[in-house]
Amino acid sequence: MILGRVIGEVWATRRDPRLAGAKLLVVRPHGLYEPAIGGRHLVATDDVHAGVGDEVIVCLGAPARASAGGNDTPVDAAILGVVDRVDFDAGLMATPGAGPGIKRPFSIDLTAGARR
Amino acid sequence: MIRGTVVGQVWATRKARGLDGQTLLMIAARDADGNPSGRLVVAADVLDARVGDEVTVAFGSGARNVLRPGAENRDLLCDAAVAAIVEGEG
Repeated sequence: MILGRVIGEVWATRRDPRLAGAKLLVVRPHGLYEPAIGGRHLVATDDVHAGVGDEVIVCLGAPARASAGGNDTPVDAAILGVVDRVDFDAGLMATPGAGPGIKRPFSIDLTAGARR
Repeated sequence: MIRGTVVGQVWATRKARGLDGQTLLMIAARDADGNPSGRLVVAADVLDARVGDEVTVAFGSGARNVLRPGAENRDLLCDAAVAAIVEGEG
């Protein structure tokens, strides 16, 4: 899975019948994450009622087909959850030559921010 | 599978069906030489891995077999899971 922020929504009336009723959100993956399909954004189905501005966890590839109600859905990215908080020790992933970064463990509480 | 280091944890109350209470860890991936590759991935964990642990992560459909082995796991929304906690390598 990867982390990203919901930046928009896609509407489509004419769609694969197996996607009927599925909510499609535009997600921008965070810098250090790289979706297998490349690019700076992706469209993911949403089963957890995420909204624009939410930080989300995105499931990629074949397992994402479990979204939108079945294994035969034409889906390769699905929002798995809405992030409340991230605890992170940046010092453990220091890359040689990556320059100065945050060296101590830190925690980001996303529920305190601009959530709707 | 890839090798990686557990660097953190992600907390999410609102999650997809079947993942209630599931621990989600942040893993910093390693490259072929064992150095940090700069890539991060979120993986489910049932082995109680801790921050700082070296782990292997299974991706794709195989990850669902870590959470719930068997043919009846295709409804799980999970593409990465900690498959082993590494104690040593040669």
